[in-house]
Amino acid sequence: MTESPRDPHRLLSGLHRDRVSLELTTLDLCLLAALHLRAEQDGLPSFDEELVFDVFDQVSSLVEPGGEPSKKRATHTIQRLRSQRMLARVDATGIVTAGEYSLTSLGTVIVKSFLEEEELTRESLSLLTGAVIASLARIRTAAERAGGEAAWRSEVVAPLRVTVSDLVGGIERRQRGLDGQQEEVQRRVGELLQADWFGAVESCQSLLEAMATTLQELNEVLLRDGSHIQALLQEIQQKAAAAEAAEAEETAQRVGEQVDRIAAWGASRQEAWSGYYQYVHRFLRDVVRLDPDRALSQRLLEQIRGFPSRPFAFAVAAESRIRLLRTVSAKGERPPVGRPSYDRERELAIVASDDTNTGPNLEELVEEALREEPSGLALVTERVLTRVDESEHYRSAGRIAALVAKLTTPRSERERPWVAVSGEVEIEDWKLESGSR
Amino acid sequence: MSARFATLEEVVSDPVFPEVDVALRRGRHIDREDGEWYAFVVDAQDHLEPLYRRYGCELVTQSDGYFYLLPTGDQLSRRHLSSGEMLVGQTLALQYLDPATVSSGGLVTREQVLTRLGGLVPDRDLAKALEPRRKRFDDERIVHEIIRKRVAEAFRHLASLGFIDVLDETHLRLRSPLLRFADPVRGLTGAEAAMERLIQRGEVVEPEEDAEPEEEDGEPEENDAEEPSE
Repeated sequence: MTESPRDPHRLLSGLHRDRVSLELTTLDLCLLAALHLRAEQDGLPSFDEELVFDVFDQVSSLVEPGGEPSKKRATHTIQRLRSQRMLARVDATGIVTAGEYSLTSLGTVIVKSFLEEEELTRESLSLLTGAVIASLARIRTAAERAGGEAAWRSEVVAPLRVTVSDLVGGIERRQRGLDGQQEEVQRRVGELLQADWFGAVESCQSLLEAMATTLQELNEVLLRDGSHIQALLQEIQQKAAAAEAAEAEETAQRVGEQVDRIAAWGASRQEAWSGYYQYVHRFLRDVVRLDPDRALSQRLLEQIRGFPSRPFAFAVAAESRIRLLRTVSAKGERPPVGRPSYDRERELAIVASDDTNTGPNLEELVEEALREEPSGLALVTERVLTRVDESEHYRSAGRIAALVAKLTTPRSERERPWVAVSGEVEIEDWKLESGSR
Repeated sequence: MSARFATLEEVVSDPVFPEVDVALRRGRHIDREDGEWYAFVVDAQDHLEPLYRRYGCELVTQSDGYFYLLPTGDQLSRRHLSSGEMLVGQTLALQYLDPATVSSGGLVTREQVLTRLGGLVPDRDLAKALEPRRKRFDDERIVHEIIRKRVAEAFRHLASLGFIDVLDETHLRLRSPLLRFADPVRGLTGAEAAMERLIQRGEVVEPEEDAEPEEEDGEPEENDAEEPSE
């Protein structure tokens, strides 16, 4: 048996593509069940067509007493079951000869789920966990002796996958059965109380007790045997790791996870049941025993109906939340951020013009310097600045350049050199061509 | 006196005291499902009763297994449940008594409660009881809207008082304090006498005595679930 990783998406797409569906009537299910029972009773591996028709007639007269059994209907039913893979034709011949049929695994599983109640009891669980432990002990011994990949596969991996996995699966299946029983008990408690209010107390209590005891016992078995199983799996896993048998290691780990799930199930069901158990006990004690005639519900019903015409209200305490005051700060109060207000418009004042400040007329000085046909702006500026007050050198430099540009045609290089024109001022030089004025 | 607490000082020093004290003062009912809180009140009951009496309150103990604080004086503020809370509370109590609820372990859906309430009180009467100051109930759509809003509001408030647990959008868990809503019909002396007794004890008021505040129109107030409207 090989187990390849399954891609759920691909599997589901395949099911969708094949339009897989099941549609079974009561008659179909009864026929399958009858065939299954007949096979068990007579030890039949398969059924010949005649037998299937016979069984169909019996089932049909039971399920539909007025209906006319006919071969046509039987053929149609068999065909429907075959197309849904419930029945398989096993004679491997054509259509002409009479067929030989057997229930498929799908048909068997469906019939079994209806017929067999796989009860999870202390005995059945102990039996199953005992079988798991025995198998694992054998597998551990095999793992000690296994030499080579083939031996690991046949002696360890296969038994882990088939025997142990099936046994653990059996426990899981029975757990699901027990989940169903729990639901049934809950429903039954409700029904008992509905039918016989006060008289149901005793039977409700015994139902609850029985389920609680079952769960407790199961949990005890799981706790006791669960750790033993895990220890054995751990040993197998370690031996596989040491022998570098990755497949065996992985399989042991997977079975370990399955066992963990079972233990977790036991604990969670016991806890959930304990909550329900307490709730129902309180109900029986506080409600049923105090109101044996179930008169309270009726009176409460009347009270609600009459409420709009005669309302009343309960008082409840309603202290508001405590108002927490902010702690007093030791820091002084900081003034808000702001600017003093004043008139930001300044009074206009009369001042002397720039020309008077610079002393001699700049334009005249520039013209005079240009008359000497200097080669560049730097020379003009240098000459003019010697006749200007030192504090005005910086401001005058720009004006000189403007006047030179106005009075001549300067030529500017792409990279203009910086030239010092006085102690503090440097300018970018322009070339001046002679006779350009 | 309980073995756990010899003095009131020990009670007040218990780490659980502040939470339980605040919860009780806000009208919370404490029942067995509250675990540690319930065990604390049971153990400290002998000390807590005289303590709260000094505040003009009674620490009420019910045989159904729950406690609550009932202010009888003016020192601790109190409020009265709205008509919506009363009607929904009584319907939930009825559900609590129903054997069908036992099957589900005390879980009911909001829809079940609404259906039950709708089956007991006609829609228009119900809307009128939920919003007594509104005059017109002609529009069926508005009537349904009032019922839906007020009932949802009541679930929230009743949960903050410990009557139910709101588990999710659909499910509610019923708790034993709901049986308080059946108090007026529980005694053997008849409903009238029981009601008289409850009024005398300050447990119950009738509207003539103390009109409850109700909003007239519009949206129901959106209160914090932890803090019932005051």
